[in-house]
Formats: sequence, structure tokens, C-alpha cells
Amino acid sequence: MASTAASLRLAFPLRSAPAATASSFSSTTLSFPLRRCAPRPLAVAAFKKLSEASPVPIPPEPTQPLLHEDALAPKPGVYGVYDAAGDLQFVGISRNVRASLEGHRRKVPADLCASVKVAIADEETPDRAVLTNAWKSWMEEHIESTGKAPPGNVAGNYTWVGAPQRPPDLRLTPGRHVQLTVPLEQLIDRLVKENKVVAFIKGSRSAPQCGFSQRVVGILEAHGVDFVTVDVLDEEHNHGLRETLKTYSNWPTFPQIFVGGELLGGCDIVSSMAEKGELSALFQK
Amino acid sequence: MRQKLQSALEASALEIEDVSYQHAGHAAVKDNANETHFNIKVVSPKFEGQNLVKRHRMVYGLLSDELNSGLHAISIVAKTPKESES
Repeated sequence: MASTAASLRLAFPLRSAPAATASSFSSTTLSFPLRRCAPRPLAVAAFKKLSEASPVPIPPEPTQPLLHEDALAPKPGVYGVYDAAGDLQFVGISRNVRASLEGHRRKVPADLCASVKVAIADEETPDRAVLTNAWKSWMEEHIESTGKAPPGNVAGNYTWVGAPQRPPDLRLTPGRHVQLTVPLEQLIDRLVKENKVVAFIKGSRSAPQCGFSQRVVGILEAHGVDFVTVDVLDEEHNHGLRETLKTYSNWPTFPQIFVGGELLGGCDIVSSMAEKGELSALFQK
Repeated sequence: MRQKLQSALEASALEIEDVSYQHAGHAAVKDNANETHFNIKVVSPKFEGQNLVKRHRMVYGLLSDELNSGLHAISIVAKTPKESES
């Protein structure tokens, strides 16, 4: 088994993971982009094992709704998707298992998404290390019994996870040392009119620094919205943006989400629109 | 804060909850400010015919002094009397 495993390189299932920082997992078989954190042996025990979880069918048409939320909860956990022949195709972890599955169904051919096994975390907001440990143990369990990793987890397979890089955060200026020839307002104005959906957030898209920004990014991604982000905390490239934007939009807090050049609102508005289903309607246009 | 909102919006219901403790220690919280995060639920006839952005702006506008002196984030639920019944 060791030799088979050594020939595989696996991609980590989280899209937000920076691709470059790999650390070791067993015998250097998995690329595992976590900053090294102390393992938490207790945490893994809280998740069901892969073999213990019972499969839940996925309707073949992406338009057919997923099963009831009792079976597939919008909660953090680890999941494994099986194809129509019953072979494990992909093991993923997610802050919202249900939303991730919706994403896979839109992107992946239906015969690869026939059923799914899920283990939901005990905690509402488990530590990232807890989730990754659960992912590791499912992965190990599968490799031990079959000798190979699920195809969707092999590095370079972009069927399940997108190509590694998300769109980078937009920068308003090349840097602080550069004298601007146009006022910042004008740059903002151009930015929100040239991009259909813009989120001004605190921190970067892959690592938001504020809970509300994180929630907004999560909601937009769960809806499959094509959006760009601007980090208002980036003093080097977006110096003065926070104050200017507050005046421009007449809105005192962040995050701020613009759609078609108009302020849609902050976290509260986006969350409540998401709950009412208004967001999907808006972005289908 | 309560008074300002109450009188300006003729609010028929107003709940203010201080949730600063949940955010104690996060980066943007200044050392000396201890009332930084609030949840506000307000029902006002003045919201009639206004979209959410405008409603939130009304609340933010009323609290601009507070926002300039340490108040960092407000979570707002703004409804008209009609909407709050349903």
C-alpha cells in the first residue's frame, strides 16, 4: 500500500487553501496546505468513520432539490461523494456541507455524484484543524481499504475543486508610493461599474479578517456568484479606501456589496436576502 | 442611542442588544471602547416604501456620532409595522 500511496499526490479539498504551502502527511503523499498546528487527537473521535456513515442519494438533475436538511445539513463537516457504480470519487470538507454539494452538482457530471456520505461536526464552528483531521482520517481509511485515493482528490484533477487560484483581490492603486492622477472616488466608481458584483471586505477573499466579511464571502460563493473582492485593510494598495468608500456609498461600515454599480448593502442585508431567496433571484438575471 | 432612534423613527418597537462582549479583543476594537457591537431591531412606519439600503442608512445616519466615537458595527433588522405582523 505504501508504494501506491507514495506515487499519488493529492490536492487538498478546500478551495481557499493556498496551493503553495505544502506540509507533509504520512509519507509525503498528500499536499496539505495547512500551517502546522498541533494535532488534536480528541477531535477526530467526534466524527463518524467513512465506513460508519450511511449513503444519501443525490437526485441526478441539478434542478431537483437535495434531500431534506435533516439528512444533508448546511453545517460544517466532512463528506465523500460516490459515483453511480458506488466508487468513492471525492472526499471534501466544508463549512457548509449542503452548499458544497450544491456546488459540486452544478459543476460535476451527474454520474459522478450519485450519493454522498456525510459526517457533521459536533460543534457549530469547529476549528479548522478539527475538520482537516477528520478529512485525513477518512482519506486514510479509504486508502487503507482500496490502496488508492479517490480520483477527485488527486492533485491536478479539477473536476471537483476549481483550479487552485481564486480570483485575486483587486487593488485600487499600484502602491502607496505612486501619486494618483485621478481621485480615489473615481477609481471606486469605475471599479463598481466595470464589475457586476464587488465586495469590499476586511481582509482577503481567502482569509477574511472579519466575521461579517467572511459571512458575506461565504454566502456569495454558496450562490455561485461571480464576484470580485477588494481588501479595505490593504493600506499599501488601497490606502485611504475605507474613509473614501464610506463617503462614496454613504454607508459607515464594512463589508459593502455593490451590484451593477449600486450599493446592495452590508452583511445584514445580504444575509436576509439569502434567507428569503431574493439573492438567487437577483443573480440569475 | 435608544432615545435618538425612538424619537426620530417613531419606532413602534425597538430592541437594542449590546453584543460587544462577543467581539472583545478583535483587531478593530479600540482599547478604550467597550460598546462597539450592537444588534438593533426596529419597527417604524417611516420605513414604508424604503428599500433595505435606505432603511439601514436612516439608522446609520442617526447614529453617526456614535459611529465616529468607537461604535464599530451594528446589526440591523428594520421593518415596517406591516412587515413585522406577518
